[in-house]
Amino acid sequence: MSNEAIPPGTLDMLILQTLFRGGRLHGFEIAETIQERSEDVLRVEEGSLYPALQRLLLQGWIVGEWSKTGENRRARYYKITSAGRKQLERELSRYLRVSGAIARILQPV
Amino acid sequence: MIVRLRRFISRLRLSRLERELREEMHLHIDLRAAALRKKGMSAEEAKAAARRSFGNVLLLGEESREMWGWNILDTIVQDLRYAFRQFRKAPVFTAVGVATLALGIGANTAVFSVVNQILLHPAGIKDPDGLVAIREKFDRLNLKSINVSPPVFADARDSRQIFEHTAVARATGFNYSFQSVPERLEASAVSAEWFDVFGAKPLLGRVFLPEEDQPNANHVVVLSHAAWTRVFGADSSILGHSIELNQETYRIVGVMSPDFRWPHSAELWVPIGLPPQQFSPRNRFNESLDAVARLKPDVSFAQANAWLKVLTDRVWNAGTPGSRVAKNGGWGMFAVPYVDLISEDTRRPALVLFGAVGALLLIACANIAGLTLARTSARSVEMGLRAALGAGHARLRQQVISECILLSIAGAATGVALAYAGISFLLKIAPEGATAGIGAHIDLYVLLFTGATAIASGVLFGLAPALRASKAEANSVLKGSARLATAGPARQRLRSALVTLEAGLALVLLVSAALFLRSFALLQNVNPGFDAHGVMTAMFSLPAKQYPDPAKQAVFYRSVLENLSKATGVSSAAIGLGVPFTPYGENGSFLIEGRIVAPGEPNPQSARHFVTPGYFKSLSIPVRRGRAFAETDRAESEPVALIDENLARQYWPNEDPLAKRIQLTNGPTVYAIVGIVGHVNNSDLAMDNRKGEIYLDLFQFKQAMPVSWIIVKTRGDVANMAAAIRSAVREADPKEPVRALKPLRELVSDSLAPRTFVSSLLGLFAALALAMAMLGLYGVINYSVTERTREIGIRIALGGSRWSVLQSVLGQGLRLAVLGTALGLAGSLAIQRVLQNELYEVKAFDPLLFTGMAAALLTTSLIASYLPARRAVRVDPLAALRYE
Repeated sequence: MSNEAIPPGTLDMLILQTLFRGGRLHGFEIAETIQERSEDVLRVEEGSLYPALQRLLLQGWIVGEWSKTGENRRARYYKITSAGRKQLERELSRYLRVSGAIARILQPV
Repeated sequence: MIVRLRRFISRLRLSRLERELREEMHLHIDLRAAALRKKGMSAEEAKAAARRSFGNVLLLGEESREMWGWNILDTIVQDLRYAFRQFRKAPVFTAVGVATLALGIGANTAVFSVVNQILLHPAGIKDPDGLVAIREKFDRLNLKSINVSPPVFADARDSRQIFEHTAVARATGFNYSFQSVPERLEASAVSAEWFDVFGAKPLLGRVFLPEEDQPNANHVVVLSHAAWTRVFGADSSILGHSIELNQETYRIVGVMSPDFRWPHSAELWVPIGLPPQQFSPRNRFNESLDAVARLKPDVSFAQANAWLKVLTDRVWNAGTPGSRVAKNGGWGMFAVPYVDLISEDTRRPALVLFGAVGALLLIACANIAGLTLARTSARSVEMGLRAALGAGHARLRQQVISECILLSIAGAATGVALAYAGISFLLKIAPEGATAGIGAHIDLYVLLFTGATAIASGVLFGLAPALRASKAEANSVLKGSARLATAGPARQRLRSALVTLEAGLALVLLVSAALFLRSFALLQNVNPGFDAHGVMTAMFSLPAKQYPDPAKQAVFYRSVLENLSKATGVSSAAIGLGVPFTPYGENGSFLIEGRIVAPGEPNPQSARHFVTPGYFKSLSIPVRRGRAFAETDRAESEPVALIDENLARQYWPNEDPLAKRIQLTNGPTVYAIVGIVGHVNNSDLAMDNRKGEIYLDLFQFKQAMPVSWIIVKTRGDVANMAAAIRSAVREADPKEPVRALKPLRELVSDSLAPRTFVSSLLGLFAALALAMAMLGLYGVINYSVTERTREIGIRIALGGSRWSVLQSVLGQGLRLAVLGTALGLAGSLAIQRVLQNELYEVKAFDPLLFTGMAAALLTTSLIASYLPARRAVRVDPLAALRYE
């Protein structure tokens, strides 16, 4: 099976969407959720996941909170904030507009 | 904004965040490895694969760290640490650098501290920007700024929409018996709001109540901190006690804090208690009060002046007799910033000194820029290596600037200590008159100034080396040609340019100092029209209660003069008001009998002196024509006057003034002119106002004198005369104090004190500037000899003469010095125009002075280049060839 890297500029949106649906997840869970939901088409580069999380934290779109995993390891769980939800809406509507446009172009006449 | 704030907070928690990030990523790797193991990988393989997929954990940490913006802070700390190590490795460079900067910044700090105290934030004034002095002027009488009258004070006081507080003061003084020795205390009679205008609060007790500022209710006193300490032993239970001033009872109600001494001379304050009749419109042109006012917070200085113009117009158009006087005299009231008024005499000298230390600091910066350039070129291997290892140009620049700023901060710290010691020392050697109210203060303003200066200098002298350093070529190091790369001709050119600039600036300072010293020397040879040699002066003031009329005063005068004539060593003595170079001169207008002044024209003006007959002999003032006063001029005989030659020329150009009759405008007495005496310069050697003078006989004058001076001429030691005057006064009235015993010569030289001070400081700064510039020149030449060691060795080996080596090195130094001299001469000519107003009699281009200073610069330059030249001559050709 070959999986695709996430298109540039969409990782933030995917993380926000995942957290919006999934509630409270740590980094590994976020990566896994994205991969599962995409039915293993999309693969999250670990190398870009953590910088992206830091970026979202910095913008105040998500918050992180330390607690224990099922195996009793310390992990940082992320939650989306209301500012993050607004950002998600903005990014989604932009994405839908763009992808709709692309789809229209590619439609067979 | 919020992002920035978060960044800031996270920076404080830098290490924790990093730790957390790492923990988070390790967890990820472990979970991934576990997942891979589930799919059947071995534990080893799974871990390795998980790690691989993650990339470089360290690099990731760095990336997100940079995102949080802590990179710059990190590198600065790193740079400073590195710079510190560099300085420890080069102690001589560091010491020279810190010392040069300490001198430059220290001199600036010292002068700024004085400028701050005089011009910006004088002690004891809250918010100096809102404090104005209210003044009057008579444009047509050439009176540009004079005191105000009570009606003008009332006008300003009633303008509450403009002035929050308004107050007036008048100098006065009291005789007080201190430990049974009579002494005089200088005082200021002030209106109730005086302290409010300055925003001053008492240290103890209170200031005056409005009901105490009334005639006959004003027997209360507020003490200055100085008088409280000196006379009352800082006794805090003194409040409420009564003291005898001029043998009347005053109650002490307050003590001011040490920094409040406005006006400066005041040792205590009493309410002025102006009687209502003084405010009558008829008194509008009787100007005797110092007025100050505090602007309301929302009122600008321009608005205040506009309002005073409105008030002036009101007087002009009132249609009263006063309106005519106002119109004819070009009368008006206006405001000036109080700080400007009190610093009139010191402002320009202070700015001259500020300019000088600014130039000194520039030289210091150029010098260190030169040194740093030499060092960065010596360090080009290191720089190249760092560039090769991936340091960006910006990073290398930042490194060099950090080093420079660290150096200048060290210099500034030393400089502040130096400045503190320097001001204390200068205050000790400076004459009192020049430094009233100035202390060795290093306050917040000064520290801010010093900090800003230090950082600005660091950037200034670090800029050129930093730009050079960032050109460090990784290639040259890798090619192994680093040794050759040090001999960058561009770098040497830059250093030469810097040294030329330094020499030029030093010459400007030298010429300025020389101009000041020369004008000062000329001033000391000015003939003031009297001979101060062997003359002692003393002041006294007869209280109105004991000496209410001129007859009573005359008894005292005669008794003192009689006692003095019997004292040993006294060759003549006199009493007078208006003695040259003492305060309390009087000016006024007079009428000439038989001459009518056209309506609207001002009356004749003169200075006035009231003296006893011995005055002219004691001061050796020549009688040109007629006679001086004599014992036969008595209160009941015909009133007589003497005039000086200037007044004679001015008002009787084609007639003989002798036997003409004059009348002072403020009295009915008509005086016959019986003699013409030589003109006397009364207050300023540099600028004789050439105003004509009238002398009246003290024994004939019909008003009591508030204050008088005793002058005694001796052929012996002038110092002995102090005791003679004291005992003569004590014998005449044991309750009467004498004060300000000073040889007249000292009074004259005190009047030159600010000039002495400025001239000697300028001399000192010029010498420092020359030394620094020469150090810079020496550095450049010395460095170029080091670089040329091989070349010189080859020349000598090939049979070149050592003389030609000497010539070439000296020639290099001299070339720079000549360029610097040309630059400096041009600068000096420009600066002389600026300094013109501060200089006495030094007018046009003075070739002797300019060439003299240029020669001094060239000679020292020759010496500075001779030292390295000697080293060049001694180069051993064999050693030099093996040098690489």
